[in-house]
Amino acid sequence: MGTILCATRGGEASYRTQDRAIEIARERGDKLLFIFVSDINFLSHTSAPVLVDVEGEMENMGEFLLLAAEERARNAGIEAEHVVRQGDFREQLKEAAKEYQVEMVILGRPGKEGSVTKLQMLEELVKEIEQELGIEAVIV
Amino acid sequence: MRTRDHLLGILVTLGMVTALLGFGLLFGAERAVGQSASSWSVTGRLIDPQGQPVSAATVRVYVDGDDEPIEAETHDDGTYLIDLPRRPERSLRIEVERSHFRPVEYELDVSGMVPDEEYNALRAPDLTMERKITAGFWIATAAFVLMLTLIALEVLHSTVAALLGAAIMFAATTLGYVLKADGLIVLSMERALSYIDFEVIFLVMGMMIVIGIIEGTGIFQWLAFAAYRVSRGRAWLLVIVLMLITGVASALLDNVTTMLLMTPISLQIAIAMGINPLSFLIPEVLASNIAGISTLIGTPTNILIGSYAGITFDDFLINQTVGVVLALIVLIVYTEIVYRKEYRAASGGVSGVLYEKMRQNARIKDPSALRKSLIIFGVMIVFFVAGEGLHTPPAITAMVGATALLIWVEPDVEKMLKAVDWTTLVFFMALFMVVGAIQEVGLVSYIATFLADLVGDSLVTGLLILVWFGAILSAIIDNIPFAAAMLPVVGYLTQTIPGAESKVLFYGLSVGAAMGGNGSLIGSSANVVTAGIAERAGYPITYVRFMKIGVPAMFLTTGAATLWLLLRFFVLG
Repeated sequence: MGTILCATRGGEASYRTQDRAIEIARERGDKLLFIFVSDINFLSHTSAPVLVDVEGEMENMGEFLLLAAEERARNAGIEAEHVVRQGDFREQLKEAAKEYQVEMVILGRPGKEGSVTKLQMLEELVKEIEQELGIEAVIV
Repeated sequence: MRTRDHLLGILVTLGMVTALLGFGLLFGAERAVGQSASSWSVTGRLIDPQGQPVSAATVRVYVDGDDEPIEAETHDDGTYLIDLPRRPERSLRIEVERSHFRPVEYELDVSGMVPDEEYNALRAPDLTMERKITAGFWIATAAFVLMLTLIALEVLHSTVAALLGAAIMFAATTLGYVLKADGLIVLSMERALSYIDFEVIFLVMGMMIVIGIIEGTGIFQWLAFAAYRVSRGRAWLLVIVLMLITGVASALLDNVTTMLLMTPISLQIAIAMGINPLSFLIPEVLASNIAGISTLIGTPTNILIGSYAGITFDDFLINQTVGVVLALIVLIVYTEIVYRKEYRAASGGVSGVLYEKMRQNARIKDPSALRKSLIIFGVMIVFFVAGEGLHTPPAITAMVGATALLIWVEPDVEKMLKAVDWTTLVFFMALFMVVGAIQEVGLVSYIATFLADLVGDSLVTGLLILVWFGAILSAIIDNIPFAAAMLPVVGYLTQTIPGAESKVLFYGLSVGAAMGGNGSLIGSSANVVTAGIAERAGYPITYVRFMKIGVPAMFLTTGAATLWLLLRFFVLG
């Protein structure tokens, strides 16, 4: 049994990604590893003081979102685990893919509005993962 | 090691308090130097067309037609006192020069004049200096607009943008000195430092340490989770409780901290209830922006306004709280109508695993620290309220409270000192300098004159303009630099409009600057951080989506707060 790494968050767009990842895992007989990468770059757009352990709060929130995804997969009969990382999305995803020796990486197509993740960036990332790591990567 | 760290932290904090007191003594001493006891001297005062003192002007006095003048500079209050070499027989010619003002000459006939008893000085009449538009005026104005634009468009970090604004002023000044071009001299370093309000800096710094300790206890997350349990799946009720928790926390701490703590746990609760988290988050951040203005320490703009206008903690409580409560009631009704479908759709079901995770994320992390923090914070509130009677400015209360927390709670001192956001403090200092520069070159005077002409003697018109102009502008640009720039303008209007001595215009500025933040996503820092976290969780808040909810909320809540100000200051008196 191999492992599929699926980058996800919450929200409608992410639920679609999770459902598709569950389908693929079922077809291939693999288990799922959900990953949430938190970055706090948005704090650079504010002039107000930031006195909170934002990274810790984001990590807790990420754990919760991935537990929900994991539960979704388990309810569909798919074995699932999760990992929360902090920092640059591209780098953290590639590192996790190497570390967990995954066989496939699944990325969700950006939602219709407001997402800071752009499709072009994901397409470039897919190429990077395939060329640098030799791992199959898809946008669903 | 731990004890040494604590001692270091305490010493640093006490050092800050000492420095603060030192500044007070320094400035006090500076005043005393100007008082001369010479046998013959001349004194007078320079004012601008708005009646504001003209400081740092060069005053030259020629005794009885002498060729060599005696020279002095005016003090912060625009006064000068010059010792004369001998008793003048006929006249004193007074020449006055100051960058960005037209020079003034005045011939004082001294025959038969009797010296002022207090200073044994001949008293010259107040001289009015007319403003002059110089190259420095355009440079300072352009630098100020550039700073606001860079911040609004997020091209540069606000601190960097403010530093850039200050750097442009200093570069022009240096060039002015090199080329001996008076019109280019915008702001010397000495003048720039005099514009920094150290009471604001130390109050913000002290509160940062206090907030840093309190936030670590997990109290707000615990309260939010407790509200979730108590509401038993009734989303319409839960959102009211969450808005009230957010409002009270914003009034006592600050909006950004509150939303950074409340957003992640609110998101989890909403997901657990099966509803769109934005139906909780947007009402919460709107409530946060509104409720912050009920206290002196709730928003940076209130801290600025309070320090400038001498409005105390209890003044804000008395004059703003009812307006804030009215605005919150309006906001709650509005929220319940706008999100009624989402709240009805709440499923309320959550698995044991997710519930446990949520409970874990919302636990009180350090009960002992929480108990101690609440006791000290309670004492601080007493001192904030009673501060005026005890001659304790808010900055001292904040710094002493921070010190007490460091001693009693014994947090990781290095971590706590790192909690002091130096970027923000530098932003404030650079901002004070930039605003000082536009005061120096006369931009603030021109705006003040324009507004005074527009308003005439009508205090109601002045209030309405300030509240609504402030609200709309704050929705577009950062409300902190806006409020900082408007302070001297409002100060002038307060002196000139009959009845404005109640400081109602300052309260209007406070309402406009804060509630306008609800008009757009970039209108307040709390909006920005809430949207940032929500986006990371997969629930983006777009500009349009926020404005659809925020703009009507801004009009409704600002309207409610305006009604209260009218009632409070024009009906109740």
